[in-house]
Amino acid sequence: MNAAVQAGNVGETLVFWICAFFSVLGALGLIVSRKAVHSALWMALVMINLAILFVANSAPFLGMAQIVVYTGAVMMLFLFVLMMVGVDSSDSLIETIKGQRVAGILLGIGMGLLLVFGLGSALTNSTSVGLDAANGVDKGNVQGIAHLIFTDYLIPFEVTSALLITAALGAMVLAHRERWIPRLTQMQLSRARFAGSGHPGNLPNPGIYARHNAVDTPALLPDGSTTDLSIPGPLVARGGIRPVDHAEVDEVAAITDGGQS
Amino acid sequence: MNPIMASAPALFTIRSVDYRAISPVLIILAVALVSVFVEAFVGRSARRPVQLVLVFGAFLATFIDLITLHATRLVTAAGSVAVDGPALVMQGAIILLAALAAMLMAERMVDPSGDPFAARASSLPGSVDEAEFSARGYFQTEVWPLLLFSVAGMMLFVSANDLLLMFVALEVMSLPIYLMAGMARRRRLLSQEASLKYFLLGAFASAFFLYGMALTFGFAGSVNLGSIADAVSAKPSQSGLLLLAVAMLSIGLLFKVAAVPFHQWTPDAYQGAPTAVTALMATTVKIAAFGALMRVLYVAFGGIRWDWTPMLWIVAILTMVVGSVIAVTQSDIKRMLAYSSVAQAGFILVGVIAVSGKGLASVLFYVIAYGFATIGAFAVVSVVRDASGEATHLSKWAGLGKKSPVTGAVLSLLMLSFAGIPLTSGFIGKFAVFSAAIANGATWLVIVAVIASVVSAFFYARVIVLMFFSEPTEATASVVVPSAFTTIVIAAGATVTVVVGIAPQPLLDLVNNAGLFLR
Amino acid sequence: MNPVNYVILSAVLFSIGAIGVLVRRNAIIVFMSVELMLNAANLAFVAFARINGILSGQVIAFFVMVVAAAEVVVGLAIIVQIFRTRRSVSIDEPNLLKH
Repeated sequence: MNAAVQAGNVGETLVFWICAFFSVLGALGLIVSRKAVHSALWMALVMINLAILFVANSAPFLGMAQIVVYTGAVMMLFLFVLMMVGVDSSDSLIETIKGQRVAGILLGIGMGLLLVFGLGSALTNSTSVGLDAANGVDKGNVQGIAHLIFTDYLIPFEVTSALLITAALGAMVLAHRERWIPRLTQMQLSRARFAGSGHPGNLPNPGIYARHNAVDTPALLPDGSTTDLSIPGPLVARGGIRPVDHAEVDEVAAITDGGQS
Repeated sequence: MNPIMASAPALFTIRSVDYRAISPVLIILAVALVSVFVEAFVGRSARRPVQLVLVFGAFLATFIDLITLHATRLVTAAGSVAVDGPALVMQGAIILLAALAAMLMAERMVDPSGDPFAARASSLPGSVDEAEFSARGYFQTEVWPLLLFSVAGMMLFVSANDLLLMFVALEVMSLPIYLMAGMARRRRLLSQEASLKYFLLGAFASAFFLYGMALTFGFAGSVNLGSIADAVSAKPSQSGLLLLAVAMLSIGLLFKVAAVPFHQWTPDAYQGAPTAVTALMATTVKIAAFGALMRVLYVAFGGIRWDWTPMLWIVAILTMVVGSVIAVTQSDIKRMLAYSSVAQAGFILVGVIAVSGKGLASVLFYVIAYGFATIGAFAVVSVVRDASGEATHLSKWAGLGKKSPVTGAVLSLLMLSFAGIPLTSGFIGKFAVFSAAIANGATWLVIVAVIASVVSAFFYARVIVLMFFSEPTEATASVVVPSAFTTIVIAAGATVTVVVGIAPQPLLDLVNNAGLFLR
Repeated sequence: MNPVNYVILSAVLFSIGAIGVLVRRNAIIVFMSVELMLNAANLAFVAFARINGILSGQVIAFFVMVVAAAEVVVGLAIIVQIFRTRRSVSIDEPNLLKH
């Protein structure tokens, strides 16, 4: 398969332009989306397209690793944090330093042009050797990479373990909350509930009235009186309790009495 | 017999690694692992003493190991690690300065509530949790393994002869410092903000380094510094690619040395981080970053020095001028020291531009002298306090010299050294760097540097004047009597500054005998 | 087809990432832009590996993934910590450190 791709056929050109289009689109989407969660989805698009481009470049192992590590782990971590922070998290469009945004865009575009034209002119005459020979040495791409990791790149490989330990340790230090009081057992919790002066059982359900059973209507207790305990706290705080029309209660009572007699 | 087994030996030839030569790094890494296990298995109250024994034991063992290795000059592990004179000298300096920074981290007498680090970094600032953890005497002992990992990263960073190992070492060095920067006990919001800014800009810088590495790989077909140097001398045709590669790599490294215009993180990170961590950032990280910068530029790209020195000229001039001028306007001592460190980075770059053995030796001398003076200065900053913690605003330093003459005198000495006044180590350092640059024809650069150091002398002198020539007021902070830890750091900073200033020959011999980078 | 196109694409993606870092103020978006830059560098490594016919480029790209994963863990831990403290992830809003 690699040989066919290497030959510079139409297939690869097509793959390149499609993936290039989508990855640039995704990258632009990432930096212009107002909401961080949209940025993350655009980013995932870029990463999947890059994975395809890796495979097209005789790097099947990296393509898979890209999918597993980046789209599978890194982007999920990002999305997880976004869910935690709130998906609505968005950017303010107010500039703290005037002209900073324009300056940033100009600087970035300038660097981009420098890179694109610099690389373009420096590399125009270069020929591609292709990886068939290199992949053939160890009879496969994965074997070749493994060979290099355990010979030429042994020390960096060993040192990355320090990095992973640091990451685990750091995440734990910043996120792990220790208890400074022992966790209460079920029995202690129920004792505490009955010992206090509060309401030990369930609070009454929202109001049950002939005309209003909305949440903001006080509940009717079995003895005919009403109670505000059924109203959710936030509504009480906002002062949103619907007043009980006692004439109506009496009217209902009268009708029921009348019906019985 | 199994055919796979039979063919197995032919698959791999294990590269020989001279483990003796890289043993200093291995010792630190091994102790860091033990230290992680201590966190997991040792009871809470015993952790701190055990960790202190481990950390200082590791530093001592490593330093002795480095002394026994002092004559080693070799490249090992498939060319990825160079154990040469400059690397060994810088590793020794990193160990000594990291040990001093560790003493500041271990200080318990200065802050009335104990540690310089938050009781639990995970508890919210100002919450009941935080108060409970403090009251119960919890301490975040995880900073010790983090410190060790970071030091191991620095030591590898200065001896990496391979851009990939350099990149990995850069991250091993930086990640623990990003974390530690956000763990201050007081002013935690500032500290967390410093951590975030340092992290984001550090990651941005390492992306530049990485892209430069990719272009270098494209040019040379290898990321080994020796092979890059061969490719540079063999094929000058693709110089556009090569120049972009050098520019990108330098941007990544210049971020770490805090050169203008890549210095924006410095004041915020220095001010917000716990002072002990700031001391670590300002000394050991700076040494490591200059070591790596010089190794990349000298070893890999020495062949095209005429292409990158003009760029470095501009950066050096900007760094000296901007650092010195902005430092004059600062009203917070930690921010002032941050801009001062930016300006000092500019002076060191003057030595880097010399591109000669003399330049290398002078830079080694300068970073060591500067490192000791800086760590002393931050130690002094950590003991000047008022009710709210460290009194970093300069208005609180008015008349401090009259209130506490010894502290005032020590800080004045260190400031004079920063300013480059004769009989201090700073003077010899500046002299060495400037004469190396002049020997290489960079006279105009040295003239700018001298003017910048006159400007910088102004704001250093301002602190001295403020301390000794104004009357102490109600607002003047007081000097807390520290334990032996901080006292040792202040004494070491002052002693090295004076001794090297008066008798610089031993240190000059050391850096001159270090020789050149191997490849 | 010329593999140099891949390098050009990587330069474009890298620059877009850099603009994102310079322009956006939301810490998470800034961080994702940095990740985009790292990905662009990986694409360049893979393309250059093919141009030069040397497999090391792919190995380096693999290392970059490992390093990036560790960096993401630390970075997101710092961002979450800040968020829990301030209920905001803007890098401007917590403006305690003024220039």
